[in-house]
Amino acid sequence: MTASTQVRPTAPDVAEQRRELALPGGADRVFRLVLRSMGAVVLAIMAVVGLFLAVRAGLALRKAGGDFLTTEAWEPDDENFGVAAVLIGTVLIALVAISLAVPLATGMALYISEYATGWRKRLLVTLVDLMAAVPSVVYGLWGVNFLQPHVVGLSRWLATYGSWIPLLEVDGYDPGDPLSPQTVFTSSTFIAGIVVALMVTPIISSIMREVFSQAPVGEREGAYALGGTRWGMIRTVVLPFGRGGMIGGTMLGLGRAMGETIAIYMIISPVFVIQPHILENGASSISSLIALKYGAAGKVGISALMAAGLTLFVVTLAVNFGASMIIARSRSGAQSEV
Amino acid sequence: MARIRRGFAAGLALLLGVLLPAAPAHAVVYVPISGAGSSWSGPAVYQWASNVKQYGMTVSYADTGSSDGRNRFKSGVVDYAVSEIPYGLTDGGVVDYPPTTKFSYMPIVAGGTSLMYNLRIGNNRVTNLRLSGEVIAKIFTGVITNWSDPAIRADNPRLNLPAREIVPVVRSDGSGTSAQFTMWLSKKYPNLWNDYCRKAGRTTPCGFTSNYPVVAGMGFTAQSGSNGVAGYVKQDGNVGTITYVEYSYAVNLNFPVAKVRNSKDYYVEPTASSVAVALVDAQINSDLTQKLDAVYDSTDKRAYPLSSYSYMIIPVDQVSGSFSLDKGRTLAAFAYYFLCEGQQQAESLGYSPLPVNLVKAGKAQVDRIPGAVPKAIDGRSCNNPTLSPDGSNALANKAPQPKECDFKGNDMCASGTGGARYNTPLLAAPTGSATTSPGASASPGTNTGTGTGTGTGTVVDPDTGQVIGTGGGASGGDVTATTVDLVAQDRSTRRTMLLLAAATLVALVLLPPLLARTLRNRRRL
Repeated sequence: MTASTQVRPTAPDVAEQRRELALPGGADRVFRLVLRSMGAVVLAIMAVVGLFLAVRAGLALRKAGGDFLTTEAWEPDDENFGVAAVLIGTVLIALVAISLAVPLATGMALYISEYATGWRKRLLVTLVDLMAAVPSVVYGLWGVNFLQPHVVGLSRWLATYGSWIPLLEVDGYDPGDPLSPQTVFTSSTFIAGIVVALMVTPIISSIMREVFSQAPVGEREGAYALGGTRWGMIRTVVLPFGRGGMIGGTMLGLGRAMGETIAIYMIISPVFVIQPHILENGASSISSLIALKYGAAGKVGISALMAAGLTLFVVTLAVNFGASMIIARSRSGAQSEV
Repeated sequence: MARIRRGFAAGLALLLGVLLPAAPAHAVVYVPISGAGSSWSGPAVYQWASNVKQYGMTVSYADTGSSDGRNRFKSGVVDYAVSEIPYGLTDGGVVDYPPTTKFSYMPIVAGGTSLMYNLRIGNNRVTNLRLSGEVIAKIFTGVITNWSDPAIRADNPRLNLPAREIVPVVRSDGSGTSAQFTMWLSKKYPNLWNDYCRKAGRTTPCGFTSNYPVVAGMGFTAQSGSNGVAGYVKQDGNVGTITYVEYSYAVNLNFPVAKVRNSKDYYVEPTASSVAVALVDAQINSDLTQKLDAVYDSTDKRAYPLSSYSYMIIPVDQVSGSFSLDKGRTLAAFAYYFLCEGQQQAESLGYSPLPVNLVKAGKAQVDRIPGAVPKAIDGRSCNNPTLSPDGSNALANKAPQPKECDFKGNDMCASGTGGARYNTPLLAAPTGSATTSPGASASPGTNTGTGTGTGTGTVVDPDTGQVIGTGGGASGGDVTATTVDLVAQDRSTRRTMLLLAAATLVALVLLPPLLARTLRNRRRL
């Protein structure tokens, strides 16, 4: 381990000393001012968005009161609406997405950062970035027209042999009836979750790759020097070092999964009751609810949608803050411990 | 010689006469215009928009649903909107207030809201399904839930309908098609519709709605957009689904649509001519909006009851917001195009052309668009297919009479509908061989009566008690067995195999490292 300290001079310390020595000149001051105001603008925009949502949601929140969080319905014109069902639907879709995306992203990131070399590595990095650049409507189209008919078989299999798990139960499906419609498996939380998983995988993967590649060379070399295999090195050095980044990336992905709109909008068949059966036709999510109902909403309807948006805003904010806190507290990017 | 020359000159003049009015279109500089709204009319608007590219017009359109189109037009985001229903109607207690700027409705195309379905009997796709209005209403309110329901069998006497669940597919977004369809439901079958609405937690009487209510657990599926519902029904696995969508979507996807029974008890397909016949009875208000009550009950036996017009909402008289005279000129030129030449394509697109009186009324509105360069349209130069010397709708006049096999009764036609123009194998006519030839009964009334008289005994299998055939002559003609895709058969074997496969997989993953470790440990010892 001492070798690593010799190889890597303490560069940050030097920088720190230099900054201390430099006298704040006019140009520096202006530059700092510009940067500060830019940071402030970001905060201000967030605050304005939140405030706008809160103000516009006022009407609906006053009408619904505390029931807004517990009602499972969306008939704002009859003053019978609440986010209980859609919020849980959103979380379920996001969880399905994350549980599929995280193993995939971890594998991708590990292969790219630890195993792939040369042109293979460059190609894969480009491909993953490309995956992130594909518009969500394309994922939606693909999901609805290609993926859905093909996943139905898997859903059916899961429902047939896994129905003892409450989550995988499907009402109205009788495995013994050959004429039972396949449609009970379409437009489900599961299918929406798969598509969203593909959309969040690149983000999670790039964060993980970044963190993994920062695992200190010294410790890697040490692990090899002790006779570790590559997998042993990954298990004892890269993964523990990157744990914070993995959790942070996962939570960023979760935040994005909860906000995903158009792909879900195209796939799900919206229902406004809590639907815990992820394989069954009928799902819901806040953002797709807004996209669906915005076009034909009345005055209360718009306000109710704003309130739903506010709920989503708060939840995503909490998730993202959580993520950034975990990333900040992790060892990622820190110096190797000697 | 002189005559020839004169003829040539006349021909040249005619040619010039045709060409010259079009000439200014090339000279005028157009600016891009954008619109949004109905996906019911989407295929037509998209086709027209791509046709006018040759004149240098850039017309964009987003088929995001009528409700969205009206809202966007109201907030001034788009230059025009397309909608099935006008402003000012009350949907679920909410009034859709019209924009504060001046606007006008202009009919753009007629069409039939069709019932597209995906149904198989054995390996054959059903292409000739017939449904009465009440059965449709019961399907879309969750009263009839199985394809083998006696009411559907009564509509289709010669189909051996499978005992499959019916999956009604409705629109999840705010839609003019939903509005048209629920308008029909609420006017014709108010009790069924209100019962359903109550289940969905809406206040009754429900009236029409752009947002089709969905009750969880009733087997309904909701999809967004006309493409969404049609694409969903089209998927191979989704057998048993039925949706309401404009006829052109079914035609484009090569899918059949249900023939709907009209008030004269004929089952009619929403072809261009049957829509034109039905809309002869449409009551056109002074603002060109439609009242369709008489269309639903049209007394013509060729009429398709679920016919309607679609509208473009255009700004008139004054320039406001982001609209400009340049945009007005482009919009007007586009409108002149589809009111005239565009209507010729209506039929091939799965719509029905506007009758001449509505073309003229529409033109009067287009003339009011600020910046419009008025263009003479008299219907004659347009080759509008509905044009006739006496001013009546030519398309409706020459609409073919429905075939006798389309009449309510024991017989039905085998021919396909919509985009699936192939025959469906039929069961033998239930009783009496005379009824099999439709031409034999000139008056429809006799067709129903013949079934009772012959009194052929049904043959019952002594072992199973099942009816194995009727003694109706044709040998082997009425074998009613249906092959079924037996996915779920022999489940115990499948389960064992799957468990074995899973165990092998686990072993494959776990055994090598375990083995290696044991071996290594042993070596170390």
